[in-house]
This record gives sequence, structure tokens and C-alpha cells, in this order.
Amino acid sequence: MINDTENRNFLRELIESNVTKKLIPKGLGWFGCMGGLSLLAFMMQLGTGIFLMFYFIPSAREALASIQYMSHSVPYGWLIQRIHAVGPHIMIGMVLSHMLRILFKGIYKHPRELHWISGACLLILTLLMYYTGSLLSAHNISDNSTMNLTFLYAIHLAGIPVVMALFMGMHFFMVRKTGICEPL
Amino acid sequence: MKDYTKGKTPEMLEPFFPNEIFRHIIVSCFLIIVELIAVILFPLPVKLINKPDHIPWFLLPIYNLDKLIQNKTLFISLLVLCALLFISWPLLVNGKKYYLLSPNKEQVSNHNRVMYIKERPNLWQRPIPFMIVIVVIISVITLCFTTT
Repeated sequence: MINDTENRNFLRELIESNVTKKLIPKGLGWFGCMGGLSLLAFMMQLGTGIFLMFYFIPSAREALASIQYMSHSVPYGWLIQRIHAVGPHIMIGMVLSHMLRILFKGIYKHPRELHWISGACLLILTLLMYYTGSLLSAHNISDNSTMNLTFLYAIHLAGIPVVMALFMGMHFFMVRKTGICEPL
Repeated sequence: MKDYTKGKTPEMLEPFFPNEIFRHIIVSCFLIIVELIAVILFPLPVKLINKPDHIPWFLLPIYNLDKLIQNKTLFISLLVLCALLFISWPLLVNGKKYYLLSPNKEQVSNHNRVMYIKERPNLWQRPIPFMIVIVVIISVITLCFTTT
């Protein structure tokens, strides 16, 4: 009973200090949301990517057929596949806008160098993610391509996302620690 | 966790909830609408070939650079160098003023540290980094429209 009350108080304090009673500097503006939008675009890519994972077959002979099956036979498969194909354009647009804002406003300076470093690494990884993904969907059926396709699939599905998750963790930790901005 | 209330009057602050939360919800809805419109309007490449025939706008400079530089090793080295410079940008331009104020790091007073942090100017107030950024942006845009 005491534990239950303590847990409830802890949760209330946590919500109050982080959400309901939290105060932030005035004048962040709409462009300050670009980072959040980049995260949302990434989450959409992640969600649609998990869906595609169930149907895509990383085999040189069956890859194309699996994409066509997904687009034509799975309910809303075409929509999810197209969101996954169009999403990177919007995501990279958001990340670039976010970085240009940080660059021109000088927010990357001390003590926020690590924000920039982790963000720049995330942008490069996003470009790599797009590149590997585009090669997966545009794959040509040839004799020596099976190995390449499996390798690309593993890199696109696990290799890059794991590194991205690490950099994202670092980015968000640094944002929490040093804050998003100071009066400039 | 960063405390934004330190050294600020209540007039300089606003509540995170609902102000910032609502701002994020509105722009998130906007993003979803833009994405759905793009899904309807953007054509997917028809031919599935090894190299995508539709090069996306954000990879155009790299693609054109690849066509301009015939040597693969040089091209990859150049890309890695650009990536390293891009990542380490804050370390390259940061702290100059800090050291100018006092060449000996140990002698930097707390006052100078505070002044440096408060005096963080926008990029256009610093001519050399600003020039570098503008030249790089113009070069990248030029590369996008280069036909080889």
C-alpha cells in the first residue's frame, strides 16, 4: 500500500517536472520543431519498414515478386510501401532544415558541440540508409547478386539502425543535459 | 537535466505544456499531411534496375561528383574528408574567441567564460565561417545542376 502511494507520487513528480510544470525559454518558434519532425519522420519509416519486413524476401529471384505481391495483394500494402519510399525525402528535408537552423543560429557552439557531431553523424547514416534501401528495391536479378542483396538487407535492417540508435541516444541525452537553446 | 529557469525572469519563460506540446502536435499533423500528399503526387520509378534511374535531390551532388572524378579512390577519399569536416565543424570554428581572450587556458577567468557563452553570435556575425558556409552551399547547389 505504501509502495503504491510512493510510486504514484514519484510518477506525478516525474510528469510535473518534465511536462506539466516544466518551463522553457520563450520564442522557440515553429522552426524549433524541425528536430522533433525529423524524429517523427524516422518513426514513420521505422513503422512502415517493420511492416515491409514481413513480406520482403531478400533473395535475388524473389525480391521483385515479393514487392509486387505486397503492393497488389496485401491490404494497404501499396500505401505503406509508398510512404516508406517517399518518407526519406521528407525526413532528409527536415534534418537538413534542422541542421541549417542550428548552423546559422550558432547553436552548435560550446557546450553543444556533441549535439552537432551526433546530428551530423545521424544525417550521414540517414543518407546511407536511403542508399541501401534504394538498392534493395531497385535490385537487378543477376547470378552474383544474392550475396550482395543479403548483405545490403542486413546492413539496411540491422547494421545502420543500431548505429543510428546509439547516436540518437547520445543526441537526446545531450539535448536533455545541456538544453535546446540559450538566449542568442 | 537542464534547468531553463536559472537566471531568467518569469517573462522570459513559457510553459512546456501546453505551448510547446501543441506546437509540436500542429507541425506533426502538417508533416503527415505533406507526406500523404507526396505519396499521391510522387511517381515511383517504373524500371527496377541496379542503379536507380531517379537520383534523389539530396544525392545529386554526390552523384555528379562521382561522374566528374574518374578516380574512385580519390572520390571516396574526398567524400570521407568532406564528412569529417562536416562532423567536426564546431570543433574547427569553436573557441577561437575563447583563446583570444586569454591564450593560457588556465588563466581564463570565470567572467570571460560567462561572457563567451553569453556572447554566442549568429553565423552571419562571424565573417570567415559565414563565407566558408556560403561558398560550400553554393558549390553544392552548383554541383546539383552540373551536367557531365
